[in-house]
Amino acid sequence: MTLSDLAERLKATPLSQAISGSDTLFPLLECVHVLAVVIVVGAIAIVDLRLLGLRARGRDIQELLNQFVPVTLGAFGIGFGAGALMFIAKPDTYLANAFFLAKMGLLTLAGANAVAFHLIFSRTLARTTAGVAAPLPARLSGLFSLSVWIAIIACGRWIGFTT
Amino acid sequence: MLTAFALWLRATPLSLAIASHDWVIPAVQSLHIVTIAALIGSVLVINLRLLGLIELGQAVTALMDHYLPVVAISILVLALTGAVLILGEPTRALFRITFWIKMGLVLAASLLTWGLSRFSRTPSAVSGVGGAPVVLKTGAIVALLLWTAIIFAGRWIGYTEGWPGAPQ
Repeated sequence: MTLSDLAERLKATPLSQAISGSDTLFPLLECVHVLAVVIVVGAIAIVDLRLLGLRARGRDIQELLNQFVPVTLGAFGIGFGAGALMFIAKPDTYLANAFFLAKMGLLTLAGANAVAFHLIFSRTLARTTAGVAAPLPARLSGLFSLSVWIAIIACGRWIGFTT
Repeated sequence: MLTAFALWLRATPLSLAIASHDWVIPAVQSLHIVTIAALIGSVLVINLRLLGLIELGQAVTALMDHYLPVVAISILVLALTGAVLILGEPTRALFRITFWIKMGLVLAASLLTWGLSRFSRTPSAVSGVGGAPVVLKTGAIVALLLWTAIIFAGRWIGYTEGWPGAPQ
């Protein structure tokens, strides 16, 4: 089954037709999506800016992760759910949109970076307590994360200008 | 008068320059949303802390000292990027009720945030580690609802028709 077959089958579902046939459901999903995105990026930025040594240098990195990873994951789940419903409403439009495909690619990169970060630094970060600078690879990971998430926001916004 | 202002604005060289480059509006909107992320991240920490849901090891006043400057700078950047968006399309948002609802909500949320900051520093408020008084918790819930409503209203500007008599 090709992607366009999948798009056709999704479009034929009652869920897809309910969302695309309503004047308010799609905008409401967009509102929830934007709210979730800004919470995800806001929470991630708090950790990334600490990794970069630009903010909250006096804070223990592991402690910041304990506080903000749950917020990030919760908001990401909501944003992903709302985004998936937006996709189901008009899958063919999204699949034909270069900014949507770029956004999905960037999301994969952000996810891979986050997983690699936790695998590599979950033990060493215990030593990066308050006032201690993060090791260079962790700093680069924070810079990469922050850049990718800003690009994700830009791609997301640009989708609406190209459909 | 608003119509005359919008039409005058639309004839200015800067407005014409923005309108003639397709990438300016999405780029400035992207910057607007990145700044909203900075703002929402900050107000989320402050208000969830007031509710006792996050950062319990940090004093409320210490978190406010850390995050309120970010809130203030974000609001300034949002006003500037928002002004550029209006300058690019002067006959759009200014004539839609959702834009003015959003501005009213921004004013209310900003004043409430300032009030929460003032109140959390009074001797009667708990200034150290631990729980916050009921007034602060109620204020935090209202603040989070206001910021959420602002995001919804902002997204809805694009789905609102101009009011009767709005310039084309």
